[in-house]
Amino acid sequence: MSKVLSSAKENFLFVVVLIGLVPMVLTNNYYLHIINLAGIYTLITLGLNLLFGYTGQVSMGQAGYFAIGTYVSALLMFNLQFSFWLTLPLVLITCAVGGAVIGIPAMKLSGPYLVLATVGFGEIIRLILLNWTPVTKGAAGLTGIPLPEFFGIKLSSEQDFYYLIMSFLLLGTYIAYRLAQSKIGRTFSAIREDELAAEAMGVPINRYKIAAFIISAMYAGIAGALYGGFSGVASPDNFTFEDSVGFLCMSVIGGSWSISGAVIGAFMLTILSEALRAFQAYRLIIYGVILIFTVIYMPQGLAGLIQERKIRIVARLNTVKPSGRP
Amino acid sequence: MQYILNGLPIGAIYALVALGFSLTYASAGVLNWAQGDIVMLGAFLGFTFFQVMNLGFSVSLCISMFTLAVIGIMVQFFILRPLQKRQAPEINVVIATLGVAIIMRNIALIIWGADAQIIPSPVSNNPIQFSMLSITPQDILIIAIGILIMLILQVFLKYTTEGRALRAVAQDRYAAIVMGIDAERSDAIAFAASSALGAAAGILVAPVFFITFNMGVGIGLKGFVAAVIGGLGNIPGAIAGGFFLGVVESLAGGQISSGYRDAITFALLILVLWLKPTGLFLQKTRQKV
Amino acid sequence: MKNKKIIGMILVVLLVGTSLVGLTGCSNTVSQKVLKIGVIGPESGGAAQLGQGQRKAIQLAVDEINAQKLAGEWKLEAYFEDDEGNPTKSASATNKLIQQSQVNVIIGAIHSSATLADMVITQRTGIPQLTAGSTGASITEQGNKWVFRTAVNDEFQANALLKYAKDVTKVTKIATLTAADDYGQSGEKLLIIAAQKEGLELTNKSTYNNGDKDFKPQLLSIKDSGAQAIFMWGLYNDAALIAKQAKQLGLNVQLFGASGMAAQKLIELGGDAVQGLILTQTFLPSSPDQKVSEFVNKYKNQYQEDPIPHAAQAYDTVYILADAVKKANSNKPDALRDAIAKTTGLKLVTGNPQFDDKGNDIGKHLLITAIKGNMYELIQTVSTN
Repeated sequence: MSKVLSSAKENFLFVVVLIGLVPMVLTNNYYLHIINLAGIYTLITLGLNLLFGYTGQVSMGQAGYFAIGTYVSALLMFNLQFSFWLTLPLVLITCAVGGAVIGIPAMKLSGPYLVLATVGFGEIIRLILLNWTPVTKGAAGLTGIPLPEFFGIKLSSEQDFYYLIMSFLLLGTYIAYRLAQSKIGRTFSAIREDELAAEAMGVPINRYKIAAFIISAMYAGIAGALYGGFSGVASPDNFTFEDSVGFLCMSVIGGSWSISGAVIGAFMLTILSEALRAFQAYRLIIYGVILIFTVIYMPQGLAGLIQERKIRIVARLNTVKPSGRP
Repeated sequence: MQYILNGLPIGAIYALVALGFSLTYASAGVLNWAQGDIVMLGAFLGFTFFQVMNLGFSVSLCISMFTLAVIGIMVQFFILRPLQKRQAPEINVVIATLGVAIIMRNIALIIWGADAQIIPSPVSNNPIQFSMLSITPQDILIIAIGILIMLILQVFLKYTTEGRALRAVAQDRYAAIVMGIDAERSDAIAFAASSALGAAAGILVAPVFFITFNMGVGIGLKGFVAAVIGGLGNIPGAIAGGFFLGVVESLAGGQISSGYRDAITFALLILVLWLKPTGLFLQKTRQKV
Repeated sequence: MKNKKIIGMILVVLLVGTSLVGLTGCSNTVSQKVLKIGVIGPESGGAAQLGQGQRKAIQLAVDEINAQKLAGEWKLEAYFEDDEGNPTKSASATNKLIQQSQVNVIIGAIHSSATLADMVITQRTGIPQLTAGSTGASITEQGNKWVFRTAVNDEFQANALLKYAKDVTKVTKIATLTAADDYGQSGEKLLIIAAQKEGLELTNKSTYNNGDKDFKPQLLSIKDSGAQAIFMWGLYNDAALIAKQAKQLGLNVQLFGASGMAAQKLIELGGDAVQGLILTQTFLPSSPDQKVSEFVNKYKNQYQEDPIPHAAQAYDTVYILADAVKKANSNKPDALRDAIAKTTGLKLVTGNPQFDDKGNDIGKHLLITAIKGNMYELIQTVSTN
């Protein structure tokens, strides 16, 4: 993880300035809208990559936390007149609880069993949102979610949201990076490399696994809160199983082992699915082909291609059984 | 109770799909996300052969199963093999099969359109009453054919060379290779068999539930759940899981809440997994250092 | 290693290439008198038949109007985007149509959640949006002056059905079986209110999820509750299955439904089980009304299939726009919006459009029909004013 952002401070500032200049150059609202959406999704993939990169666990239920973020934030703003910023700590807490709810059973699970448990979680959340009509307004969902305010200014245009989302994204990336560098991060890596050895060394594996789930849930939750203000509406249709699968694809295609992978994956797939509109009915077929190709010929994702670093594929339960020509 | 009886034909369908999942997982270690869409393709092909080209019902069933077996082998050859050669992580394989599923679904949309289609049932749909309970001949047919197919599968696995090779590979791939079994060929057979199973499930389902291009999504997920409940890779487990799921859904949906039915099913699933992390019928293997 | 790199590079270039190509919209045509209509609907995913029906009907209308110069000097252009029934994608599509194709008005979407998401953008930009398929009540309750609904009003339908059930079918205990989506949920609410008004007892209220195929658990619990009629609110696939399964369970009660399921396919898929099913709709394909039969024939000739109600509503929506742009003689947002609001004097396939101050079309036909043999038979016309 440490090789991802080298000579940190200078590069970082350079990137920040570059990001800041974009809306001045790119005035097309549609493009900005897509970038904003990709930015929100990147927060989710960051969480996924932290989860996978640290404990090798996979989640196909992130849409559930994404939804919790949006709904909790919106409902607090509606019912208790909280400001957008005030809802954030509560979003974090709720998602942390949600993360633990799945993290605890997930400790014992791996592979497809884990996948299914996370799918189940995502679906349960969606069904609650759909059926608990008095609170969540059911299928019609929430409308008129208030816009976030920054020192009294209502953030309403694509440009405004761009700065808001990018700020969160930079913060999220920074946190992820520091986490990777820290002792906690190194412990996580040890778990990912060889769980048994780590356990033998006295690492409380289960606690770390749950923590990973909680962290990824919190990232998705913040993304959700941002999404609420950004789109102004929310309904269970936004948070389906297909969406969870989409987030996982972004993580894998980008490269599920790194921070840059999260950014690349989210941006590439968001832009790609918009760009493919030109192909009408064949759109999704091409999408499927690209998925297959990328996953076969670029197993480390796009980030792996660009980094070109030798990843030791841990010969463990994680890999597919080898082809068997005797 | 009627609810339990009602869950059986559905359970048989889920069991067939679950078998497909378990077969490919056991032998090739692959979670084939496209299994549900294979069911859909089988149903649509059956529709085309039966309704449009006016071939007989059994003929349509056989050609459909055969075509899908071929498609299954193609998937194994073009997609699974390259992944295996590159020692790709498990999640990559899942995403690859997901890509296949998306492609199948949208090709079906283009070929057959967005409307639902129907295959008329070979037997009647009118209920027969046994004292308090009723069941239709159609339901009986589904359960009967379902069990028949499962029996054929068991025979295949126990008594044929290919079947036994498959089981050997499933049990311990390395050992099987060392013993001279061509594991890749086994993989192909596993894919062919599970695809044929899927096609059969599709055609059985078609008169009851109609055929739509996106029916694979729901059926695939339910079949996967059933397979996991029984223990992925465990053949009898898949069958048990299928029936179990069908009955539970029926009870939960009718007696507790129709809206939250799936939520209840999933919650139950998570509970099962917590108590038995590898499903009801599989033992958790101790990790050897 | 080198091979892998090359393949990888090619892939990345391809990806970036398609992105750039796909994102650039067509550059503007000279500003003659052109009304650019953006159309958003689900053309893939669960409700694909609705989105595709909408698209076909709109294309048909646009071609006709242009050929016969029915919009005065104005020419219509339609731009279609698929939202897959997903509100996020719908909002992106709206953005794209406004920014890249520079549309003057939007017809969309079909899913209420998607329409609501689009409304945030059309309101911010300030262009009219008409939905020919969304029935969620909240759409016209937002105080949004840019939004109009040309989809049939669900409240009228629910009221008409319950009144008929009480007066003619003479049942006292009813049950509802509705889809757990915005269409079904809003229908359920309206059915319950209407039942209360008519003094009928609601013995069971069940729902199903989109994509569900097994309704027997719900039907069994309805049977146990002693209901004498079942009111469905969903699409035709589900309705046909429900009818069949009810029959299989020996549950032979009167079935009622609404325009969402009114399609020829319902009869084809349901067979015996749907005979006698009563439903409300705005559009009876077999009607002797000249406008209707002309539309049905033209649609059938063009697309070799029967039009669904959503198609008819979308078709009429284009005609409303053609009339509005002709009368306003402008495609500027405010003028166009005002002209739409003042629509009057048109006789279209699904009614004589007239918008109330919330943007609902209150001029739609409301017909109570029953399935007899291979077609729908009119049994009562209801006035909606």
